[in-house]
Amino acid sequence: MLGFLQIVIGGLSQGGVFAAVALGFSLVYRVTGVVNLSQGAFCVLGAMAMYYFQVAWGWPTPLAAAASIVAVVAFGLAVGATTFVPAVATLPISSTLVLTAGLLTFFGGVALIVWGNQPYALPPFSGEAPVSFGQLRVPTQGLWLAGGVAAMIAALWWLVYRTQLGRALQACAENAMAASLMGVDVKRMMLLSFGLAAAIGAASGLLVAPITSLQFDSGDFFTTSGFVAVAIGGMGSFAGAVVGGLLLGVAEQIAAYYVSSLFANTLALLLLLAMLLWRPNGLFAAGPARRVDVRSEVVVHRAPIRLANGRMAGLALALVAVLGVLPLLPLPNGVLPSLTIAMILFISVLGLDVLMGWTGQVSLGQAGFMAIGGYTAAILATNYDWPPLAGVAAGMALSLVCALLLSVVTGRLRGHYLALATLTFGLLVDSLTVGLVDVTGGPSGLVGVPSFGVAGFDFDTPASMYWLALALAAVFVFTLEGGMRSQFGRGLQAVRTDQLAAAALGVNVPRVKLAALCVSAALASLSGSLYAFNFHFLSPEMVATPRSFEMIAMLVLGGEGTLVGGLFGSLVLTLLPTLVQGLAAYKTMAEGALLVASFLYLPEGLFGRFVLWLGRIGAKPANPNGEPAAKAAT
Amino acid sequence: MTPALEIVSLSRRFGGLLAIDDVSFSIARGGLSALIGPNGAGKTTLFNAITNIFPPTSGEVRFMGQSLAGIAGDKLARLGLVRTFQTARVFPGMTVLENALAGACLRARSNAVAQMLRLPSARAEERKLREQASALLDLIGLSAFRDAAATDLPMGAQKNLEVVRALMADPAMLLLDEPAAGLNDSETADLAALLTAIRDCGVTIMVVEHNMSLVMGIADQVVVLDAGRLVAAGAPADIQRDARVIEAYVGGSV
Ligand SMILES: Nc1ncnc2c1ncn2[C@@H]1O[C@H](COP(=O)(O)OP(=O)(O)O)[C@@H](O)[C@H]1O
Ligand SMILES: [Mg+2]
Repeated sequence: MLGFLQIVIGGLSQGGVFAAVALGFSLVYRVTGVVNLSQGAFCVLGAMAMYYFQVAWGWPTPLAAAASIVAVVAFGLAVGATTFVPAVATLPISSTLVLTAGLLTFFGGVALIVWGNQPYALPPFSGEAPVSFGQLRVPTQGLWLAGGVAAMIAALWWLVYRTQLGRALQACAENAMAASLMGVDVKRMMLLSFGLAAAIGAASGLLVAPITSLQFDSGDFFTTSGFVAVAIGGMGSFAGAVVGGLLLGVAEQIAAYYVSSLFANTLALLLLLAMLLWRPNGLFAAGPARRVDVRSEVVVHRAPIRLANGRMAGLALALVAVLGVLPLLPLPNGVLPSLTIAMILFISVLGLDVLMGWTGQVSLGQAGFMAIGGYTAAILATNYDWPPLAGVAAGMALSLVCALLLSVVTGRLRGHYLALATLTFGLLVDSLTVGLVDVTGGPSGLVGVPSFGVAGFDFDTPASMYWLALALAAVFVFTLEGGMRSQFGRGLQAVRTDQLAAAALGVNVPRVKLAALCVSAALASLSGSLYAFNFHFLSPEMVATPRSFEMIAMLVLGGEGTLVGGLFGSLVLTLLPTLVQGLAAYKTMAEGALLVASFLYLPEGLFGRFVLWLGRIGAKPANPNGEPAAKAAT
Repeated sequence: MTPALEIVSLSRRFGGLLAIDDVSFSIARGGLSALIGPNGAGKTTLFNAITNIFPPTSGEVRFMGQSLAGIAGDKLARLGLVRTFQTARVFPGMTVLENALAGACLRARSNAVAQMLRLPSARAEERKLREQASALLDLIGLSAFRDAAATDLPMGAQKNLEVVRALMADPAMLLLDEPAAGLNDSETADLAALLTAIRDCGVTIMVVEHNMSLVMGIADQVVVLDAGRLVAAGAPADIQRDARVIEAYVGGSV
């Protein structure tokens, strides 16, 4: 009993941080309607600032804490004002959500540059010795944390429900349009909520850092845990955030103690999936029913990116020819292996494009299917001597089964909940690849994976692997292009922007979504298998959730809904660190920054821009700007 | 012959508001009927109840003799009942021609794999649909903009495109919610011509419309709603003389 209580206390202190992160989510969500995935990174930034002020510069604890929070809020406001707030005003919710995932990566990258990849632990505020209540021993920092989180909740409650400012914040939450008509500066309020959330994150980060050592990418962990907590509690509800966070913390500690620390996440994630099935709006769901026949979301006025058949064929042939001769040229060291990786990843990004770019289904779990395909093929080929091709096929089959199961949960979900469910799926796969040590080799990975080979021919050089991936990619682009230019693709695009109108025309929306998910899962699975065969090795972090975010960055940078575009995103993000030595440390930050910048300034992506430019060159003189003459004529 | 659409004591409640109150009428096959009534009368709600977007609180809807209880979404279109929405809902990110073609999704006989591999059967089907869509766009005067982004069209043209898109689904009956909103006089005349042409091809049409001269010119039956209740239903000439209709339309504002 005592042991159990001790575990619950550990869980509550862990859960306190989740609750604080969830509180930040809820606050921003209520004011802007968007879940800000970068929330968890503020914890890391807060702890990092605290480390410099307190440990490196020797400032007294209270002063260091105050300075850290101020510094993080200032940085958060600067980033929020230039990225988040403009995005909320101009982008559809799903894009803004992904943009905040880019911010999370960006903040992680900043922490990596400043802090390096070492874990850091701060000294506890009041010494190492725990206090005892009878036989119960509680670390003093746990008390600081509990008190700090409670104080934040109280302060937030007072601010929102008892002040003029809070009323303005609430007005934005209820109806932004009406609020702005009443003279509330909605953008200021959005920024304010973002800054408050940064303060909450920084404070909870520096409170928890003495208990859990943090490193540059711990923000991912806080964000996902806080996201799960907020989903359990109900999006936008303050009470729900606290209850969800504490529940999650306790559940994880119990699972870690009674099952295995390697599976600490698994249980919580399964719980969440069940929750999304049973009660998608959370325990404390709030909010009036929407009029579903009236569209409330921002409509994306994305120009159709189309090339005439002839030009497309010419461009494709030229591209394949150039890419095909690359390995024969004298390339600098390391470029060919990077090209191979870029090409293999492109196959997965291609699948993501079908799902996200063409069908509009946000997926934060693409790497999960890479992991399933990679591990299945690698394990079968390494430990059971299956021919590689059979392993690849088995991986794809398993991925399709998982896609079917996932679709049971995701079928009815949209927007944030869809993103959350796919993220949960990816994290679940992560936790299994780490936890199932006997099957996957656990955190240290699976070694001795053979080369890919078909009918006696081994693809055992970088060039042969590159050509294989290129050939496969070319075939997939060709077939998918055919699909997208016919009724199949039009069904996907109809679902992307307007499910109700699509259904009214007889499009079977659930089936279309399932088809897109299956295409996407199969391609990711194949890509994961090739990835393992290429490296002769596979470890969990090679195909973990950050990889999902990276592939989204590749897709958005290259151009959503263009099929080929992902290749350019993949080439840029894979080759840049190889070509420009010393850039490797900046890779994470650049990835995040590029994702955010392309959403804001290059929404059609590199390839999309190129195609629009080509189209303009060939346009008839009467129609020079690509503007349809409709406006003038009617 | 059973009517195309039978509405039997249909009611729909939103909380305390009875948006449709015990409405019954039927629409003969092959007719062009107009649903009129002041703003907030419940016309859109009636369409939403028929198509089970907000299912009826009580009462029944029968389409070609078959009850529509529990039939929603794409299944309705498969039965031949296709609707448009009051706000223009062309698909962004697609060209005008692609939007029109998207209406034919349920007619595709070739499967996705055949389309991806560009098999002859799939290409023949694609060619046929494209010809049909082009012909319809021609009819409504949109063929010059077939490769423009649909969302770049002016609002009226977008609504016309929606009618074309719905028509591409090859429906037995069309429910059109204010297709003429935002059209100027000559565009309205074009639309009227298109609607009568569609009707002459054997498609039953019910259209929500404010423009009385349009309604009286082309409709062969008019259904009048006010505050959720059926005021009158009958031939345009009778409706124009009906005191209750004049009351509903003019009485309030005089
Ligand atoms: N989903 C809904 N929730 C609540 N009230 C609704 C809903 N849909 C329609 N109403 C109400 O029903 C009445 C009829 O609306 P509507 O059918 O849109 O009128 P119209 O005849 O102008 O199309 C209005 O008072 C409207 O506010
Ligand atoms: Mg209406």
